[in-house]
Amino acid sequence: GILAHLEMLERRAQQVAMEEGEAQKQEEKLERLKARVQELRLQRDELRAKLDLQQKQQLGQEGAVLEVEPPSARAVLDWKMKSVKAMLELFYLTGISGKLTKRGVCFCISTAYEGTYLDSYYLDLLIKAQVEIHHHSIPVFIPLEKMAKKYLQTDIRRFLCVLSDHLNAYVGRRYQADQLQQHFSDQIEGTIQRNSLCNLLVFNYNVSSKSQTFPFKVRLVYGDLCCSLPTEVIVASTPDAPASLTQTAAAHSDLFRRMALHKAFRSFCPAEESMD
Amino acid sequence: MDETVAEYIRRLVLRIPRDEIRTMLQEWGFLSGAQLQTINFHQIKDNISQEVVQLCEENCADIKQAAVLDIIYNHIYQNRRMWSVYQMNKAGEETEVFDLTDFKKKFKRRLRSALRNVTINFREYEDNAIWIRIAWGTPYRKPNQYKTSYAVYHSQTPYVFISASMLKSNLPLLCQALVVASNYHDIREMELRGHSLNSLKDIVFQRYSQNFQTYNPRPLPERTVEPESEDIRIIHENRNERERIQRMNWEVFGDGPQPKLEFVQYKLETMFKSDPEMNILDKKEPFRCLVKFSSPHLLESLKSLTPAGMADAPLSPLLTCIPQKARNYFKIKEKKGLLSESLVSP
Repeated sequence: GILAHLEMLERRAQQVAMEEGEAQKQEEKLERLKARVQELRLQRDELRAKLDLQQKQQLGQEGAVLEVEPPSARAVLDWKMKSVKAMLELFYLTGISGKLTKRGVCFCISTAYEGTYLDSYYLDLLIKAQVEIHHHSIPVFIPLEKMAKKYLQTDIRRFLCVLSDHLNAYVGRRYQADQLQQHFSDQIEGTIQRNSLCNLLVFNYNVSSKSQTFPFKVRLVYGDLCCSLPTEVIVASTPDAPASLTQTAAAHSDLFRRMALHKAFRSFCPAEESMD
Repeated sequence: MDETVAEYIRRLVLRIPRDEIRTMLQEWGFLSGAQLQTINFHQIKDNISQEVVQLCEENCADIKQAAVLDIIYNHIYQNRRMWSVYQMNKAGEETEVFDLTDFKKKFKRRLRSALRNVTINFREYEDNAIWIRIAWGTPYRKPNQYKTSYAVYHSQTPYVFISASMLKSNLPLLCQALVVASNYHDIREMELRGHSLNSLKDIVFQRYSQNFQTYNPRPLPERTVEPESEDIRIIHENRNERERIQRMNWEVFGDGPQPKLEFVQYKLETMFKSDPEMNILDKKEPFRCLVKFSSPHLLESLKSLTPAGMADAPLSPLLTCIPQKARNYFKIKEKKGLLSESLVSP
């Protein structure tokens, strides 16, 4: 009947509508894709144009100075070398520096005293089951074996610190004695009795009082090997010297205990000092 | 002035080369400047020595003062004597405060308590070296000034350098006095002998150039590079090999000058290795043999062996270990069939 016919028509209409809807969707999609393609094409053209422009610019400015010069490999290497050297110099100036070797490590202890750089000493260590000293340039009177026995296996850092203290103190004492000999030789009577470690100094020097000179005898004992100041000071004047000089002797003794030897001398005989 | 002293001074002056006499007398300081002016140093040495003796008479020289001149002479010509190195040991761990006056006192007291007739002189030098001159006598005879021993000691070190005296019997006395004076326990002779005192010191004090690898910013010393101005038609076919040899040599010997030794001696007590068919030496006994290398400068000549192509690099460790082991007398024994250095210290 008619209802059936209507239903059929209804169904057909739905179908057609659906098909049309789909077709439309397809079309829209197509449109969208087309638009995208246009966009991309436009971008590509822009970039191409930019590239062309840059190339033309470079070609055009060949004769003149280039604005941006890419750093050459050589320059980079030079810069790296310079900064590494500066770093190594820095480590060297700190006093203890080291370099890994095939079988261990080689330390360099650089000593200084009051702003003057003095000797450098080397220690070549082998690191096996035990740490061993392969060879070294430490002076033979520095008690290296004693320090090594105590610290080398357990605490290398402490070992190096203690060794560095000994070496720095030794060069400091030696420097003071050398300076004294060099700059105040007029004051000193005879020779300065010293020893390898410079931890005992015995000498006589002249002190003037009321236009007369009197000899003082000094005995400086540096009991602490890590210290560049004496632990024991004996300043004695001769028995025939005036009483006022005993006070001077005490004052000098105090000076020697507190400051560097050549500085102490400089303080009580400024006129005699020769400029170094 | 004693006649013996006069004769001694006369003979001393005769030993000194003529050009050196004035400087040595000045260093001696016994004759005044004015007195030295009166001597004609251009005449023959016989006459010079006579004049010196006369002036010494005026100043009443005694044997101790004459001995100082002897020390000066021996210090300057130290390389004419043969020196042996001795090592001292101590058990204690106390810090050393070495007092020179104390040392001298103890030494003299100890030596004199054993033997009264000795002349002992000391002289200190700038490098902390203490030179000790001993003239030996017997319990019944005065010291013979012509038979002297010298001992050189650096304070606070365990090493003493002794110039062997002809009177070997007195050596234990000297050693004992040294040990007591320097606060050590015992002393033994090392297997190290030579004429160059400074080189012996360099070896035991480890003052010779050793290679230390560091990042030290100081410039490396210039290594001898082949001069580029050589004929370009000469091609070094084995440049790589030569560079390898140079490098190995540098690793072993370092850059600087080597200490000066005159010989190294190896006493072999090893089995003779021959073809079993030849049947030499049926008895399996060690073949005793002594090998001695002599040279005006042994270590430098060893250093130049491989670059000159006379030996293969690397050199045998028996040759290169001399400064490190501080010895130039070796005993090589058989060890499990391998020829290794089984060093026997006496």
